[in-house]
Amino acid sequence: MTVPVVSAELLSLSLTGNAGKIDILHDITLDVLPGETLALVGPSGSGKSSLLMLMGGLERASSGRINALGHDLSAMSEDQLARFRRQHMGVVFQSFHLIPNMTALENVATPLELAGDKQAFQRARHELEVVGLSHRMGHYPSELSGGEQQRVALARALVTRPDILLADEPTGNLDGATGAAIVDLLFNLSAKHGATLILVTHATELAERCDRTIHLRDGRLETQPSETAA
Amino acid sequence: MSWKISAKFARRELRGGITGFRILLACLTLGVAAITAVSTIKIAIETGLTEQGATLLGGQAEAEFTYRFATAEERDWLVGNALAISEVTDFRSMAHVQGPDGPEQALTQVKSVDDAYPLTGSVTLSNDVALKVALGDQDGTPGAVMQRVLAERLGLDVGDRFRLGQQDFVLSALLKAEPDRASDGYGMGPRTLVHTNALKAAGLLSPGTVFSTKYRLLLAPDKDLEQLKTAAEDRFSNSGMRWRDARNGAPGIARFIDRLGVFLVLVGLAGLAVGGVGVSAAVKTYLDSKISVIATLRTLGATRAIIFQTYFLQIGALSGVGIALGLLLGSAIPLALAPWINAQLPIPASFTIYAKPLFEAAVYGFLTALIFTLWPLARVEDIRAATLFRDQICRHKTLPALRYLMAIGGLLTALLASAVWFNDTIKLTLWMAAGIIGALFALAVAAFVMQRTARLASRAVRQPVWRWALAALSNPSNGSASVVMSLGLGLSVLAAVGQIDGNLRGAIARDLPKVAPSYFFVDIQKDQISDFVARVSINPQVTRMDTAPMLRGIITQINGVDANEVAGDHWVIRGDRGLTFAATLPERTTLTAGTWWEADYSGPPLLSFAAEEAAEIGLELGDKVTLNILGRNITAEIKNFREVDFSNAGIGFVMTLNPAAISGAPHSFISTLYAAETAEAGILRDLASRFPNITAIRVRDAIAEVSKLLGAIASATSYGAATTILTGFLVLIGAAAAGERARSYEAAVLKTIGATRRQILLSFALRSALLGAAAGIVALAVGILGGWAVNHFVMEAKFAVVWPSALAIIFGGLLANLLAGLGFALKSLASRPAQTLRSRD
Repeated sequence: MTVPVVSAELLSLSLTGNAGKIDILHDITLDVLPGETLALVGPSGSGKSSLLMLMGGLERASSGRINALGHDLSAMSEDQLARFRRQHMGVVFQSFHLIPNMTALENVATPLELAGDKQAFQRARHELEVVGLSHRMGHYPSELSGGEQQRVALARALVTRPDILLADEPTGNLDGATGAAIVDLLFNLSAKHGATLILVTHATELAERCDRTIHLRDGRLETQPSETAA
Repeated sequence: MSWKISAKFARRELRGGITGFRILLACLTLGVAAITAVSTIKIAIETGLTEQGATLLGGQAEAEFTYRFATAEERDWLVGNALAISEVTDFRSMAHVQGPDGPEQALTQVKSVDDAYPLTGSVTLSNDVALKVALGDQDGTPGAVMQRVLAERLGLDVGDRFRLGQQDFVLSALLKAEPDRASDGYGMGPRTLVHTNALKAAGLLSPGTVFSTKYRLLLAPDKDLEQLKTAAEDRFSNSGMRWRDARNGAPGIARFIDRLGVFLVLVGLAGLAVGGVGVSAAVKTYLDSKISVIATLRTLGATRAIIFQTYFLQIGALSGVGIALGLLLGSAIPLALAPWINAQLPIPASFTIYAKPLFEAAVYGFLTALIFTLWPLARVEDIRAATLFRDQICRHKTLPALRYLMAIGGLLTALLASAVWFNDTIKLTLWMAAGIIGALFALAVAAFVMQRTARLASRAVRQPVWRWALAALSNPSNGSASVVMSLGLGLSVLAAVGQIDGNLRGAIARDLPKVAPSYFFVDIQKDQISDFVARVSINPQVTRMDTAPMLRGIITQINGVDANEVAGDHWVIRGDRGLTFAATLPERTTLTAGTWWEADYSGPPLLSFAAEEAAEIGLELGDKVTLNILGRNITAEIKNFREVDFSNAGIGFVMTLNPAAISGAPHSFISTLYAAETAEAGILRDLASRFPNITAIRVRDAIAEVSKLLGAIASATSYGAATTILTGFLVLIGAAAAGERARSYEAAVLKTIGATRRQILLSFALRSALLGAAAGIVALAVGILGGWAVNHFVMEAKFAVVWPSALAIIFGGLLANLLAGLGFALKSLASRPAQTLRSRD
């Protein structure tokens, strides 16, 4: 039996704001297998991004358990989670979230530097070449197009060779052609490095490229976790 | 390892420029510069006093006697210990002239000197004549020199004659500078300089008249000043002699500069606290703009320590730059202003770059920067990676983690300890700190109440412009609390300084003239007093006259213990005091404890002491006070305490003895006359021509002199507070600039839904005015309380609220906030909605 890389059990998330308590996720249970590509889909506010962030240890569940690579993320401190992400996870956002005062090269080298890698810049340079940005290494995010920024973000997410790659609407801010190119890169590179890819998307064609699609509505799973779309 | 990475990240972040840090830099630079400048000027003056101590004193050491010359024994000892000696007498007198419209007279502070004067430095006269020649015989009449202001008052030109007592003098030159002017203390009139020999016939130095003699000594280079002082005090401990030496040539000025300097440094610290609130707001705004960067770094695996260190190093480096700029500016300003400052001072100041003010200001700057940046910096720990995909709907924690609170507490204690150590005044520093902390607390409460009230009011109000303004104020995340705190603290300091300033300037002018006498007449001789009283009694214009015998004496011991050990530095112990004697309880006198002596009492000396001063010193009925009067010690038992009101400028003696104790000693009389202002000149002419040796002090002139001095102190305080105004305004601009983006967005949305520019502008103006008013009301209360505390505890003066100043500062603050707010609001209104909304997407 294959051991899942991510395993959620009765996961719930509620947040308290000025307006009171908001329930975001209800009793989510699912497993994600090694090397699998999984799409989380659903209408806005259905909780798909929140679920993705729970899987990345970027958010804490109100109840339930979440395991990643055999580690109980709910039991880890903020700093333990940061170190865990540094070693095992890469994240790509819709809004890229590059650090504005760092060049493309420095942005990609940052997670390696945090991990204490002495070859950080050499490896970052190589990663940028892989995503086709060898001529843009010294440029700041503001000097790059949206597609280029997302390629830098992809390189930054993959440079540490993560076991799990999380992508939150990676093509949401890009035009069709650029988005398609990024998706190709995303799938190819995660496959090449053997990473498990979990992505949130509204795009049907993108979800169809995944091994499995999970639908969420009002914070609950609509599709059983065992169902396979493709 | 983590520090190395943090330093690398911090360096990269700083490449983005210092746009968000301009206010931080300006606040720190200004605060540190103000403290450096004040402290540098203080040290420059103190150094000048030390370096020029011998010149200011008129010799390396000085022995002073009151009412008398040194005895042969004392003089022999002084001569035996010095290379050279000079004798100087100092007293008040009237200079008389025969003017075109009859006799004229003016009060003057006379100094008579011998041939050896001055031992150090030189006297500068108007026509470059040597002093010896100027004071020598001028065709059979002794010469004299006087300050230009006195000559002009009397209408005298060089070569004209005037009279002191019974002696005529020729004005041979005008006195431009005398080296020992600063050590002579506060004089009642402009200076006249004569030769002592010429006074023999004047009748001004007869026993019982008020004068002091000073013996200035030039010493061998190897003479130990401390040893000599000890030897002199041991040998003449009961003679009433006062010893001074070049280590502290002008103690009055040194003490004044020290106190004023300390006060101004503390005002500077308050200004730094105002800047600190601005620093805190600037750091918060900057860190808010960095939330996505911090969250991204968290996503990439940065620990909380790395994040904290990254921003700590950045802000620390910029604070260092601000402090360095402040030190540079604060050192440069006194150097640039040195010629002007020296021209204003009666003593030479030695301007250069001193290490102590730099160190002091740097310590204050670093500690203040740490205290005010640590609070917002502690928040970066709470920024989580999830912020990247969700606006922070979770409530912020109100307080930082305990370890940060403890660190802030420790730093605050260190700041207070530094201020106490540098300024050597625990009480004043702690009061000031309590004032600032109390003001911040009151302002925080006011901000909270304002937000709650605005929330409730916004629901009740129907008028949209008001509702938008109130809703904006009630939102805890729009920074209104920090505006109330920074503006309120700045206004509180200004209001307090305004109250102190107004009370200083107004106290005498406001309180005295209603009850003060017109003239004090001193040096009325025993054989003149009955004539004097008779002459005054027949003058219908005199509404009241008080007379009393007067001697001067020094309290040397209390209950057999050195008076300084018992009473410390109390003003009654400092120098000689006027004292009188009376057989019966004087009119309008109230005893607070004990009883008066029998009118014919002739037993051991008894003493009546001023109640308030006795309580301050800790005296009780039955205590024994030893007085040195004309070189003779008299020990008297305190028989009673009585109320003495010094504030009405009437005759008020701290000490009154029974007549048998001292009436045999040479003494003169003092008299006060009360009359209408229009009658004053005539009364003076009449009495001065009949009693030429008597000195008349016009109370209005004395009040004007003291008011001038207090005005100068008030001005210095106002200059000190000016930096606080500037810092406060910078903080306002910073707050307005920080909110500009949010206001632009709000304006764009409001325009989109149909609001006019006028409505939006009115709403923005309303919120600025309401914020200003909230800060102003608290500042009014804090300022008045602070002003009262300084007046009551430091100045020991009566306090009255100076409403024009209080209201002007509050309305000024409100207006400043309105202007700063509207300045940025207009910018927000100018942009097109589509442009603003698109850039926000």
